[in-house]
Amino acid sequence: MTERPVERGEVPIALAQIATCPGQLRHNLDRHLRMLEAARTAGARLVVFPELSLSGYLLAHGVLELALAADDPRLAPLYEASRELAILVGLPLREPGGGISNAALLLEGGELRGVHRKLYLPTYGMFDEGRYFVPGPGLQPLECSLGRFGVLICEDAWHLSSSVLLAQAGAEAFLVMAGGPTELDADVEPAGGRRWHWLVGATAITAVRPVFFANRCGWEEGILFGGRSWAVDARGRALADTAPALEEALVTAPFSRADAAFARTLLPIPFMERLDLWRTALERRHA
Amino acid sequence: MRELPPVHIPLLAEALTRFLAEELRAAGLRRWVVGLSGGIDSAVAAALAVRAVGAEPVEALALPGPTSSPESLEHARLVADGLGIRLDIVDLGEAGRAFASTLDIREDRLRFGNLLARMRMTTLFDRARRDGALVLGTSNKSEILLGYSTLFGDAAASVQVLGDVWKTHIFELARFLGTPEVVVSKPPTADLWPGQTDAGELGFDYPTADPVLHWHHEGGMTRDDLVAAGFPESLVEGVLHAYRRNRFKWRPTVIARVSSSCINVDRILPRNPR
Repeated sequence: MTERPVERGEVPIALAQIATCPGQLRHNLDRHLRMLEAARTAGARLVVFPELSLSGYLLAHGVLELALAADDPRLAPLYEASRELAILVGLPLREPGGGISNAALLLEGGELRGVHRKLYLPTYGMFDEGRYFVPGPGLQPLECSLGRFGVLICEDAWHLSSSVLLAQAGAEAFLVMAGGPTELDADVEPAGGRRWHWLVGATAITAVRPVFFANRCGWEEGILFGGRSWAVDARGRALADTAPALEEALVTAPFSRADAAFARTLLPIPFMERLDLWRTALERRHA
Repeated sequence: MRELPPVHIPLLAEALTRFLAEELRAAGLRRWVVGLSGGIDSAVAAALAVRAVGAEPVEALALPGPTSSPESLEHARLVADGLGIRLDIVDLGEAGRAFASTLDIREDRLRFGNLLARMRMTTLFDRARRDGALVLGTSNKSEILLGYSTLFGDAAASVQVLGDVWKTHIFELARFLGTPEVVVSKPPTADLWPGQTDAGELGFDYPTADPVLHWHHEGGMTRDDLVAAGFPESLVEGVLHAYRRNRFKWRPTVIARVSSSCINVDRILPRNPR
C-alpha cells in the first residue's frame, strides 16, 4: 500500500528507523537531528526513535560512560527540537539514586513530559541487559498534547500483559521502541522483522489500540538489527508501508484519537481481562 | 536425514556488505586489506568488500609460500581481475624457508603450515598499518567450528565477515556474487603442501559435515540424537571430535582475572568509542 493522506483529526507520527553506533554519541545525535528534520518536513507531530537510540544498543559496561541524566546538557539539541514536535528518544538513563535504566524520554515544548523505564531486561541467549541496567518500577501511559501513549521498550512488548495493563491505565495507542537483533533464514526478510510484524499486529488487535513500532537497523559490534518499522491500527490494518530491513528510513503514519476511541468502544477486549485469574496465579506462586 | 536449513543468499550478501561498510566507518578507516589465496572464501570476502566500499579501497595480497601451487596464484589473479582490484604479490617463499630453518621445522608439515599462516597474517597486518586499513578475515563458520584454521594465522583478522556462514552457503554466495566457477568448484585447500585438501585432512567434506555441525551446535542434538536421525556414526564421531577438540580456538586468548576490572569480563566495552 502507499501511505494515505492525513485526514482531519489525524496527526502524523514518524518512526525514525536509524542505525546507531555504540559509544559514538555525536554520530548518533547527528542521526537524530537529521531524522527530526525529515520528520518536520513530512509534517510529523511526534517522532519515535528506537530503543537506546542515542547510545547504541551493545554498550555492555559502556553504559557507565554513556548514561545520561534527563537534564544532561548533551540532550539540549533534542529538547530544543521538541519545541516544534514531540520526541520519544531512547537512552541509558542515569538515575538520581544510583543505577542506570534502559529508558525512553518523551520531550515536548522544550520540556520532559514523561519517562518510561524498560521493565523486562532480557538476560539470556545473546542478551545481557540484566547485567547493566536496573528494571523499571512500573507501567503508566506517558502524556503529551497528542494523547496518552503506552510506551513499550522492546522486550516489554513480548509480554502481552504489558499492553493489557497500559490499556486499562488509559493508553490510547502504543509506541514500541525496539533494538531487535535478527538472524537470517530462508525468508527474503530477516527473521526478527517477521516476528516483530506478528507481535506488533497481535498487540494492536488484542489490546485494541494502534501500535507505532520503531526498530533499529544496521550493525553494532557484529550484531545485525532488523528494521521493518511499521504502524498498524486497532483492527490490524497497516497505517503505513513497512520500512526496509537494512536501511535507515522514516515512516510516517496517521494517528486518529477519534478512530482509536471508537475502536476501543466497539471492542472493549482489554477491559474484559480476568485479573482475578492473575491474582490466583500470584497467590499460587507465593503459596 | 536432517538437512542444513537454507538461507536467503541475496539478503545475506546485502547484510554482510553493509557490515563491511559500517566496520570501516566506525573505526574511522577507509580501506580493507585481504589476502587472496585463490580459494572461494577469500574470493567471497573480497567481493563483499568491493560491494561495500568499491574496488579502489580494497587491497588484495597474494602470499605464496615455498610450496604453494602456481594454480592458486592464477586463481587469485582471476578473482582480483574480476573484481577490478589491485593484486600485490608478496612472495613468502624465501622468508618462509629461512624462518622454517631458523625454527628447525624440517619436515613437520603442520608446524610449517602454521608458520606460513602466521607469516601471511603478519604481512596483512603490516600492510593494514601502512595503509590505514582493516584486515578482512576470510574464515567461515564450518572451519572455525572444526578448528581447521591456525590460531593467530588465518584465524586472526580485524573482522571475520564469513565467520557465521556455513561453508555450504559460501558456495551459494560465491555463485551469487559471480566468483569465477573454477574457484567455486575446485576442492577447498589450505594450499600448504602439494595435494593438500581440507576434506583429505578432515576426513569429510563441508557439505557433508555442515548439517551435523548445525544440528549439534545450533539444534542441540547430541551424538546419539544425530546417529538416530540417520547420520553415519563415523561422520558424527569425526565432526564432534573436531568440534570439541578445537574449541580453544573460538576465543583467541583468556586473561587471568585477579581484579574486579578484568578486561572483557568486568569491563566489556564498545570497540570504537568517539
